[in-house]
Parts: sequence; structure tokens; C-alpha cells
Amino acid sequence: MTARISTIAAALCLASVTSTQAFADYPEKKIDLIVGYAAGGGTDVMARTVAPFLEEHLGNDATVVVKNMPGASGQIGVTAVAQAEPDGHTIGTYNLPGMMARTLDRDADYDADSFTYLANVVDDPNVIVTPKSSDIDTMDKLVATAQEREGAVTVSMSSLGGDDHFFLIRLSEVTDAEYTIVPFSGSAPARSALMGGHVTMGIINLSEVVNFRDELNVLGIATEERSELLEDVPTFTEEGYDIVNGSLRGFIAPAGLPDEVESSLITAFEKTYEDPEFREAMLKSGNPVKLTTGNDFEALNAEQLELAERVWETSPWK
Amino acid sequence: MYGSLLDALPAVLSLGNFAAVVIGVIAGICIGALPGLSATMAISVLIPFTFGMDPLVALGMMAGIYNGAMYGGSIPAVLLRIPGTPAAVATSFDGYPMAQQGKGGYALQVSVVSSAIGGIASAIVLMLLAPPLAKVTLLFGPSEVFWVAVFGLSAIVFLLGGDILKGLMSACFGVFVSLVGLDSISGYDRYTFGHLELLDGINIVVLLVGLYAMPPAIALLEEIVDLDTSMSGKLNTVSLWKAIPSMLKYWKTWLRSSIIGIFVGILPGAGGSMAAFLSYNEARRASSNPDDWGKGEPEGVAASETSNNADTASALIPALTLGIPGTAVAAVMLGGLLIHGLQPGPMLFRDNPDIVFGFMWQFLFAAILLIVLGGALATNSFAQVLRLPRPLLGAFIIALVLVGVYSINGRMFDVYLMLGFGLVGYFMDKLKFPLPPVVLGLILGGFAEQNLRLALRIGGGDWTALASSTTSKVIIALILLVVLTPLFKRIFRPKRSLTSAS
Repeated sequence: MTARISTIAAALCLASVTSTQAFADYPEKKIDLIVGYAAGGGTDVMARTVAPFLEEHLGNDATVVVKNMPGASGQIGVTAVAQAEPDGHTIGTYNLPGMMARTLDRDADYDADSFTYLANVVDDPNVIVTPKSSDIDTMDKLVATAQEREGAVTVSMSSLGGDDHFFLIRLSEVTDAEYTIVPFSGSAPARSALMGGHVTMGIINLSEVVNFRDELNVLGIATEERSELLEDVPTFTEEGYDIVNGSLRGFIAPAGLPDEVESSLITAFEKTYEDPEFREAMLKSGNPVKLTTGNDFEALNAEQLELAERVWETSPWK
Repeated sequence: MYGSLLDALPAVLSLGNFAAVVIGVIAGICIGALPGLSATMAISVLIPFTFGMDPLVALGMMAGIYNGAMYGGSIPAVLLRIPGTPAAVATSFDGYPMAQQGKGGYALQVSVVSSAIGGIASAIVLMLLAPPLAKVTLLFGPSEVFWVAVFGLSAIVFLLGGDILKGLMSACFGVFVSLVGLDSISGYDRYTFGHLELLDGINIVVLLVGLYAMPPAIALLEEIVDLDTSMSGKLNTVSLWKAIPSMLKYWKTWLRSSIIGIFVGILPGAGGSMAAFLSYNEARRASSNPDDWGKGEPEGVAASETSNNADTASALIPALTLGIPGTAVAAVMLGGLLIHGLQPGPMLFRDNPDIVFGFMWQFLFAAILLIVLGGALATNSFAQVLRLPRPLLGAFIIALVLVGVYSINGRMFDVYLMLGFGLVGYFMDKLKFPLPPVVLGLILGGFAEQNLRLALRIGGGDWTALASSTTSKVIIALILLVVLTPLFKRIFRPKRSLTSAS
């Protein structure tokens, strides 16, 4: 019995020795960066933009390899990260509120505790837009139309249970009106219907509207302060509707990451964020950046989960 | 704007950028010719590598691959009745019978010339008419797109084959497959049985390869003579340049199919396969000998191949100007543009005219290069493959298909699914169920359903909303015209035969 305990103790010692060595020169092999979407999508472009900066700032000749595992709106990829070895050699992209919403509307093999939260990099706030040809070009006119008859305002969206959908549910509460959801599959047909005036309004993200100011009226932006990309557009809070919402994209690792590895990854993300070249690259690919790391990111995630749970209870989207 | 078009030309003609187009076209033809590999997949595989490239090199390769693959898909469709890409299904209707009659070489020549013409027409339209045509895209909301899908479904009548009941059963199977996955409107999973892999629906390549490539490959292994490669191995080709004059009589089909292909390209969500089906059906309807179609009519190959290439560059019209990709490939290409910091929209034309217009030129050159590279090099070398001993060829096809299907999403699930469809296809083949209705049902069934429901949502459940816009009315009138004309012809014809009988 004692012999067995001492063997286990010896094994544990050995294990801790080898793993301490591993921290000393992390990363000791290539780092897989798992993207839950196909190559060329918004999240993929973010991952590929970040990867070379991460390599540079991690040092130690780090190699970051982007691996696409598309399917089930990102769920397959994020599940793979949750189940990976927590040694820092597998990290992944993470989307909010989508990834937390999936734990409510589907049988997910992960939850909020399955991850080590590294850094949220992109914060793409929601905006309300209407076609340029539409008379509805202010929030007041929109709300008046919506309150006049239930369901009179049709809203094009890219999917159910995403940031745009949560935004709409909040809008519905705040303005005390019912809207007709028109969920397309993907943002392309949703924008096509919106620009063509087939629906009353659309909920899209800041990055999607910056290049289309001549084609669309932007009624408001769901941030606390005005965005420098759209300085003339008022926030909803300014207009009397207290809604702050958006699509968040960041990076996570499996839960139980050794502290040293976690801190070196977070430091690398912080240095990346400070890098002017990185800012320039993100701006060019249309990603509004805002860094939230470690515990703050975990708190942000909990906040998003709470919102999703509240929405799921009062108005489930399926 | 047209000035910047000319300014962009010199950069495109520089050695590196031009070589990229050449390599793209060759790679595209090979990818298209291999069952299980599609243009969408090839470009998504390429995108990560283009990260460090010069934008025009990357975009040139994409333009080349897109055009090349749309033609390449017709090679196995003609020679083996295995469409290399979904868009080549309609090419096999007449191409394969031609190959059986020993005219496989001519079928491929018609195919390459038609592909090039479609591609050239599309590229020119993209260069000259992109902004006005983008406005046409916007006319098509869900109700209008629904009617276009209905129009496409009317083609099913011809595809049913001899036995109408079996044909309809095939079509229903296709529609059923289109239902699998997450219903985007209610948010419920349909027929996924808890598999995450099925949530996004079944990729058309998985179904296509299972139904079309597995049964003939198994037949090759069984050494049954009904798949006659001894004939098609000798392509009986005369030089392409000598063959072209005899094709000039297809000019009406080229024109009609180019227009159909370009139109389908600018519609969001449609794609090359829909263009090919529509244009095949319209060409047959316009033909003076519709009964010969499906038995080896070269014009059928011309119709299908012209339009699936005409859909390439035009799919980029809404993509570049509005950020709305017309096809799945265009969507992937948008990602390729984003990687180089090129965001779609009106600003793109102002800020990066060299690259945007250069990209358009590359589409044009890719289409022209098809004739040279596709006609002279690729076609003949691919025909040699057919001289392989049959069991070897069968095994080769199966191996390729397994790799291709695996690489779509990098998972075995799709491979098992494909093998399941292979089993279904094997028995459909033995029991003489037609395959084309399955493909049409899959492409258009779900498309029609989703758009119908969205249109009704927008209209507040009012069915008259489906026909409220002028665009809808025009399409409905077209459908009625096309469906009713043969009916009237039939009403008048028996009268004459009755009088003659009495």
C-alpha cells in the first residue's frame, strides 16, 4: 500500500517536473488555433490577422497554425477546444453571444466553465439601418411605426439566436412594440433584402455599414459612446433607448490552463493589441477592436450568458 | 470608371500576375475534373496560402480556379457520366450519350468553347455593367427569388425520364435531403438525430458524389460492359480550331445561356448548378428537335456549359458592389478580398481601382485561356486516364472521392454520409430511378421553401404579397407562358390528327 502511494507520489513528482520544464520554454511545439468557421469568414480573417502577431510576441520561435473546423455555427470547433489538452498548444476563436446561446438552445458538450478566457479582441456593435429609399430615417419614426400596428415593422437578420436577435428582443422590450423577425440564412441575403427595400429595417454590425453610408440610413448605434468610425450617428442611449449590444470575437483555451502559460498568452495578446501594425491590419479588414483580457473577459462572458438566459426564459427563439 | 479599367491592365499583364491566372486555370480544370473536389473547396483551401501573396496574384489564381473548375467538371461528366462539380450535372445529360456514340472528343470541344464564351461574356458584363446590374440584384427579395425557384422547378418535368412515378420519387428524395439541418426560420433541427454535423444541412458535393460517382465506380469494378470506356478512350478528336466552325450554329444557345447564367449569378443564393439546369431546359424548349435531347445533342452540352461559366464573374457583381455574394464561391472569394484588406462596397472601386479592375481583367483572361489550356492540354491528357484498366480506374475514382469528401470539412462523418448516398445511388441505378431530379430537388426545394416562408413572413401571412411587386408579376407571367405553351400546342395537335383519322 505504502509502496503504491510512493509510486504515485513519484509519478506525480516526475510529472510536475516535466511540466514545469514545459512552462519554461512554452510553446514547445506548434500551437493549433481552431476556428469554428470556414476559411474566409469574418472570424477566420480575424484569426489569420492575429496569428503572425501572436507568434512574434510569444517569442520562443512560436508557430501558430490556423485550423478550420466549420460546422453547426461554430459549435464543432469550440467543442474541440473545450475537450483539448489544457497545455496551451490548442487555443480557439470564440464568439459571443453565439457560443453561450448555444448552451441554451442546443445540447452542448461545453459550458461557461469549460474555458480559460484569454482575450476578446473584436467588439462589433449593432446598428439599426433602413434602406435609403425609406421614409423611416430616425428612431422616433421607427418606434412610432412599430407601435402603430403589431408586427408592422419587418426586420431582416442573418440568423436566430445571434447578437442581432438579442438586440431585437431588447429593442422590443425598450420600445414596447412587436417586430416581425425575418431570419435569413446568412448575412448576404439579409442585406440584399434590406438594401432592396423588401423589409422595413435591418440589424447589422458597425463593420458592415461603414462602407455603405450612401446606400443606408443608420438610425443609431448600440454603444455607450459614439464610435469614431461613425461620429455622426447617435447612440441609442442618447436617443432614450438604453441598449448596448454587439458581436464579440476573441480567443479562449481549454479550462485548467497552467498559470504561466495563461499569463504568457495574455501578455502576447496585450502586446499584439498595442502593435500599431496590428491595429492597421484590423482596421483594413473592417474589425472594430477593443481588448478585454483574462478575468475581465470571463466576467464579460458571464454577463452575456446572463442576458442570453434572461432572453431565453422570457422569449425563447425556438 | 472605364479609364481606370485601362489603367489596371498593365499590372495584370506582368509576368507574375499573369502566371497566377495560368496556374489557376490549370489547377481549376484538374480540380473540377476530379469528382469530389469543387471550386468552393479549392478556393477555401487556397485562401490561407494567399495571406502573404500580392493581392493580384492571389485573386488571379482564384479567378483561374473558378473558371477552370466550371469547365473541368464537364470532363468526367462527358466521359464517365460522373459530374466533376455540381454545376456539370446538366452537361452529362447529352455529353455522356455523345461519348457512348464515340463523339466524346467533340463533346469536350463544344464544352470548352462554350465555357470560354460564357466566361468571356460574364467577365465583360462584370467590367462594363457592374453598378447597374447590382441594382437588379436588389429587385429580388424573397418573394421574387421564390418565383425564380419555381421557374427552375418547372424544368423537373423533362428530367423525370420515362417513368413519371419513379422520377417524382427521385425529386421528392432530393427535396427531403434539402430539409435536413437547422430550419433557419423556426430555429428547430430537422432530421439531424442529434448530430451536430448535420445542423448546417447536407453539402451538395456529398450527395452528388455518392449518387453519381459511386455507382459507376462500382460498375467499373464489376466489369459490367454497360459503362463503355473502350469507345470513349479514343476521343476521335480533330484539332479544336477545325472543330470551331461547325459549332458556330449554336450562337443562339450561347447567347441565351450566357444571359441566363449572368442573371442567375447576380441573384443571391443561387449558383452555377441552377444556371445550368435553367439554361439546359430553355435551350431544349427553344430547339426544333427537343426529342433528341438527352440522347446526345451537342447543343445540350453547349447550353449547360455556357451558363455555368457565365455565372462566375457575374456572381461577383453584387459581391464587389454590395458585399452580397451571388454564389458560394463568390462568398469565399469575398473572404479572400478581406484578407488583403479589400472591403466590398462603392469605396472599393474608389480606393483600390487597380486591384478591382485588375481582378475583372483576370476573369476575362481566365476565360480566354480556357480555350488554349482546356482545349489543347487538359482535355487530351484527361482522356488518356480512360485507357487505364477498368478496375484500376474504378479504384482510383473511389480513392479520390473519399479524399475529396473528407476535405470539405475535414471529418469522417461526411465520408460515411457519402457512402450511404452511394448505396442509395447504387440501388437507384439498378432500379432505373433517374438521378437528375434528386439534384434539382436538393438545389431548388429548400431554396423555394425558405424564400416562400420568408416572403410570407414579410407579407404578414398574406399570400397575395407573393405577387405584389412588378418583378414578381413578370416572373409569374414567364412561368405561365412557359408552362402553358406546350399545353396549348397539345390541345391543337390532337384535333388535327382526329380530323385526319376520321
